[in-house]
Amino acid sequence: MSEPILISQDLKKSFGEIEAVKGISLQVARGEVFGLLGPNGAGKTTTISMLTGLLEPSGGQITVDGLDLKSHTNEVKAKMGLVPQEMALYMSLSARQNLMFFGRIYGLKGKELRQRVDEVLEMTGLTDRADDPVGDYSGGMKRRVNIGAGLLHKPQLLFLDEPTVGVDPQSRNAIFESVEALNRAGMSVIYTTHYMEEAQRLCQRVAIVDEGRIIAQDTPTALIRSLGGGVVLLGVSASAPEDLAERIAQVPAVKSATRSDTYPAGSTGGQLKIETQRLQEALMQTLDITNQLDVRITSLEILEPNLESVFLHLTGKKLRQ
Amino acid sequence: MNALNIAYKDLMMLLKDRGQLITLFLVPIGFILAFSAAFAAGQELEAQVIAVPVVNLDPGGEMSTLLLQQLNDDRGLQTEDYDQAQAAADLSDETIKLVLTIPSGFSADVQAGKQTTLRLAYGPAASDSEVQAVRLVVDGIASDLSLETQLVGGLSQMGAMMGDAPAEVRVFTAERIATQAESQFERAKTTPLVALSAKWPDQITQGREDFNPSSFGVAGFAIMFAFLSAQTTAASIFEERKEGTFRRLLAAPLGKWELLAGKMLPNFFLAILQMVIIVAASLVLLPLVGQQAPTLGNSPLGLALVTILVALCSTSLGILLGALCRTESQVGGISSVFLWIAGMVGGAFIPAFVLGDFLNAIGKVVPHYWAMQAYNDLMLRGGGVGDILLELGVLAGFAAVFFAIGLRRLRFA
Ligand SMILES: Nc1ncnc2c1ncn2[C@@H]1O[C@H](COP(=O)(O)OP(=O)(O)OP(=O)(O)O)[C@@H](O)[C@H]1O
Ligand SMILES: [Mg+2]
Repeated sequence: MSEPILISQDLKKSFGEIEAVKGISLQVARGEVFGLLGPNGAGKTTTISMLTGLLEPSGGQITVDGLDLKSHTNEVKAKMGLVPQEMALYMSLSARQNLMFFGRIYGLKGKELRQRVDEVLEMTGLTDRADDPVGDYSGGMKRRVNIGAGLLHKPQLLFLDEPTVGVDPQSRNAIFESVEALNRAGMSVIYTTHYMEEAQRLCQRVAIVDEGRIIAQDTPTALIRSLGGGVVLLGVSASAPEDLAERIAQVPAVKSATRSDTYPAGSTGGQLKIETQRLQEALMQTLDITNQLDVRITSLEILEPNLESVFLHLTGKKLRQ
Repeated sequence: MNALNIAYKDLMMLLKDRGQLITLFLVPIGFILAFSAAFAAGQELEAQVIAVPVVNLDPGGEMSTLLLQQLNDDRGLQTEDYDQAQAAADLSDETIKLVLTIPSGFSADVQAGKQTTLRLAYGPAASDSEVQAVRLVVDGIASDLSLETQLVGGLSQMGAMMGDAPAEVRVFTAERIATQAESQFERAKTTPLVALSAKWPDQITQGREDFNPSSFGVAGFAIMFAFLSAQTTAASIFEERKEGTFRRLLAAPLGKWELLAGKMLPNFFLAILQMVIIVAASLVLLPLVGQQAPTLGNSPLGLALVTILVALCSTSLGILLGALCRTESQVGGISSVFLWIAGMVGGAFIPAFVLGDFLNAIGKVVPHYWAMQAYNDLMLRGGGVGDILLELGVLAGFAAVFFAIGLRRLRFA
């Protein structure tokens, strides 16, 4: 395997008292779409800010394409493209003016610049509206310009920070397709999101981030397989016996059963999180026990094995409420 | 190169912002026209002539004739001859407000270098400002006379001036003196005359002779608005931060210095352009509306240097405001108020010597004051670069301090 395009070692960042990133190490292979998954405030944007050189890390090291970011800052920055989480565009300028400006900043000029701008406008489907002020665009169109502006200089490594937030399903699909097309053309991508299905579709490998740490890092399939089976969330009334979780855990098909009182918020009873490799069997045996003990079931939720349940398994938290 | 790209982008955005353009260029010109009209109206009021009854006990004397001539040359005064008894009677029944008495032998005494006394008597009908005005003019001319003739004398102590007033009037004026300008009067008793009279008239004559209201107004507004345009820089930095475009710029292969220079360049040139346009428009427009055109003095180099430093100062102030302001209203309203007040105490609207010692002292902490002093030296007093070195230095200092603090406080990400 060739040398990774990006290596980060023990990256840390504190904002005063807040330790936003507590030591993140990851490697992104060339030509890979790498996902950074995590809930709000996990430290994804902070990590990306450090990786793209706009935030000084409190500790750790970043190497891009074999060059140290700190000592070769501008050289490294030229290899990377950033699509910020927010719409980072000049709203009073047109899409073309925005793209021309950001292209120039990355050193493009003359005919090459105009050509790239035209290509990107074409790719984002904005050729017709290219000369209208961006402020007049719809949210989805702005998103597309926002992405286009990060692509002009054909970066080797593209960072996309939650590019689909607030986007309708159709535009979202268009964004997926362009990411896939760019990736086929050889671009490495770091993609942050808190939508697990996006990561599952796009990313060859994902790192799951929570509270400033990577808690798992692998291919989506491997992560799901490690969990196996599925997860059952079983809501029970307050009258359920204390040792219900332990009893259910005895069931052969059940891998683990734990009581989590945090979900769902406001419920009077408790909630059991039951993990299993054999979903159907485990579910039936569990219900046998609750029937025997005359426990009233208040809710039942089955999580198909996916990255969402991996996250739940690892953190005891749902990604989104 | 990238600095130029950023500057070009900012200018493009500015050109799309009509409100901003109007604020930068049309508002100042409107202000100047309104201000000079108001000032002209004020001058007409001031031009009301104060009648000064004079009892000349030295008729035909060389010095007394000269004194009367000079008193009448002053646009604000008109002397009228009175006989001594008549004047005393009219003063006590308040048909006249004050009387200036030239003592007999005045010319001979002045020429002989002997101390002599001009007496200014005034009754209750005289307003403070009238008495003060006459006193200042007489003081000034008398001291000029005495200086010209290399003689001590002219006016005597203010206490002595009361000599001719009727007793009941005297009591009244004594109160007046106490409340009005006691310390001045006290000093007058102990200080030699020349020293006393040289103090006041200097300012008055300087104010009157050199004061071209157009030059003053134009310089003041040029400074005021050049500093207000610091908000343009501040707002564009704030905007970049708010919209997140700063993040893109910081992720680009681009030095912090290029970024800062790019943000500063447009405002720097705009401020210069703004000042040039303000002056040019004033030269053309003020005469069209019947006002005096500003005089520019005779040091183009000096004007250029002050203008460049004012622009630099305003631009660094913009960086500082951009770094400090955390909300839209801080960038807009609050810094506006701050900049207008700075312009006021810095003497951009009202001549510093009118503001009084206290405000004048405060004014020195704002760059407006120094810019105003420099322009006044150049435009009103015809000075050259050599006369404004201190002001240039102070302005450069302000620019450096603003920039240094701004750079430290500017959080890029
Ligand atoms: N400039 C800052 N100053 C102080 N705290 C910060 C700053 N930037 C981020 N944080 C804190 O660091 C933590 C991580 O924030 P970050 O924006 O990296 O999260 P995220 O994973 O991108 O979340 P989201 O999904 O909401 O975008 C949060 O607790 C946030 O409040
Ligand atoms: Mg984020």
